[in-house]
Amino acid sequence: MTFGTIALNWLEQEGADQMVEHVLDYGVNHFDVAPMYGDAELKLGPKLRQHREEIFLGCKTQERSYEGAWRKLEQSRNRLGVDTIDLYQVHGLEYDEELDEITADDGALRAFREAKAEGIIDHIGLTSHSRPDLIIDAIDRIDDLATLMFPLNPVVAGKDDGEHDYEAVLQRAEAESIGTLGIKAFAAGPWPDTDELPEADRPFCNWYRPVSAPDEIRERFDFAASRGLTSVVSAGDPKLVTMICEAAADYDGMDESAQRSLIEASRHDDSPVPEQLHH
Amino acid sequence: MDVPRTVTAALDDRPVEGRCCLEAGAGVGNTSAGLLDAGASRIYAVTNDSEHARTTRDRVLDAPSRPDASDRLAVLDADLRAIPLPDDSVDLIAAHALCNVLDPAALGTVAEELRRVAAPGCHLVVDDYEPLPDDAAVRELFAVENAAAQLATGRPALTFYPAPVLRRFFTGDGWRVERERTLLDPVPWTANHLSAHASAAAAFATDCDGDVGDALAARADRLATDIGAESTGRMYSLAFRLAE
Repeated sequence: MTFGTIALNWLEQEGADQMVEHVLDYGVNHFDVAPMYGDAELKLGPKLRQHREEIFLGCKTQERSYEGAWRKLEQSRNRLGVDTIDLYQVHGLEYDEELDEITADDGALRAFREAKAEGIIDHIGLTSHSRPDLIIDAIDRIDDLATLMFPLNPVVAGKDDGEHDYEAVLQRAEAESIGTLGIKAFAAGPWPDTDELPEADRPFCNWYRPVSAPDEIRERFDFAASRGLTSVVSAGDPKLVTMICEAAADYDGMDESAQRSLIEASRHDDSPVPEQLHH
Repeated sequence: MDVPRTVTAALDDRPVEGRCCLEAGAGVGNTSAGLLDAGASRIYAVTNDSEHARTTRDRVLDAPSRPDASDRLAVLDADLRAIPLPDDSVDLIAAHALCNVLDPAALGTVAEELRRVAAPGCHLVVDDYEPLPDDAAVRELFAVENAAAQLATGRPALTFYPAPVLRRFFTGDGWRVERERTLLDPVPWTANHLSAHASAAAAFATDCDGDVGDALAARADRLATDIGAESTGRMYSLAFRLAE
């Protein structure tokens, strides 16, 4: 699994330090951070520096330009207090124009490659939350991608349309030996409208409503891990992290029939079709 | 609409492309959609439930996502005990979650009809549920549904046939078993499923004499609410073939 360090944003420094030690105790050595995760970079800093050799550090930027990417990279290095970042990712690619922008002569990837040549970063990655087809275009157009980060859970896996075809991304990534990092593995669905549930009354800080019972967490981890991902990224709420670490520690694969069972349950939970007797 | 992974898993090793197929018991059209996507040249979706026929037309036949569906799919309002197709006319039959709604007598008659319309070399896919484990809470809901159905119609609503029983049954009819696989383990009986079964029980209950119908309907409703959802049991897929 990968520790999504946005969880640190919701803790005081002492709690953040404990969380890092806690996660390391489980043997988790891939940490993912970003400048837009509140002050997660600053809170990760002390323990990251203490354990720098043990941690494979992923960071990312939403900047699309050469200048912007360099600026954000330097900012993240300063806030984290480290010289090098192991994996630096183009974050949240959504539009075709953005792919044109980052691959242009004055685009972010030129900055990434210069930083790589200087030994500041080691690998280049990309994240996208909503466009499997765009990820595949990116694989075609960027020949030095080491990783991809995208959503994968039973809801996504049960949909046939191109907007959710992350299976195609998984297959292509495997063929190209590109690592795959799964996010939203623990998403149960969107939050209710704020009229119904004000943001301040949400019981979790995730952008989505997460599953939260230990058995559900375990099922969701097993599902995502068994689809062929390189790593499953933990959910952003610190209350869920221990359960996810436990699930990861106990992971022993998941049969396809059990995977289908989760897909089928999600399909019926969210079905516009009249009530059905069967599966 | 998305094709359920139970359907894709049941069909993915079957030669659907270019074949004339029969969906025996159309339900809400899930298997017809799966057969269309897998390249069937012709699909007859047969059901004697007019609501199912309408749902299949709405979801699959008229869906914008499958613009050529009307060229290849026909939804037939007909009884599977008298299938309106000629002898030896079908290359592949899919009976997805059909047998559990057929009592043994109906199963026998339907099987005769499937055998009649099957062309030499025809494939048959039978997907269904193993009997539920003794400790499954949903057993009681299905028992109430069956009690109401028995009182109202003289037949059970649901019969869960073990896979070995259907293997022997269809083998005795000339079909050769090609494989068995597990589609769901466990089977997720969601709140939607339980509510649908409670509604089915209530519908049978209206035809029961005396107070017993009301009592059964109320009990089914309470069970569906109390159970909420339960993942239990196994759904299997059997694939058979006739000799050429």
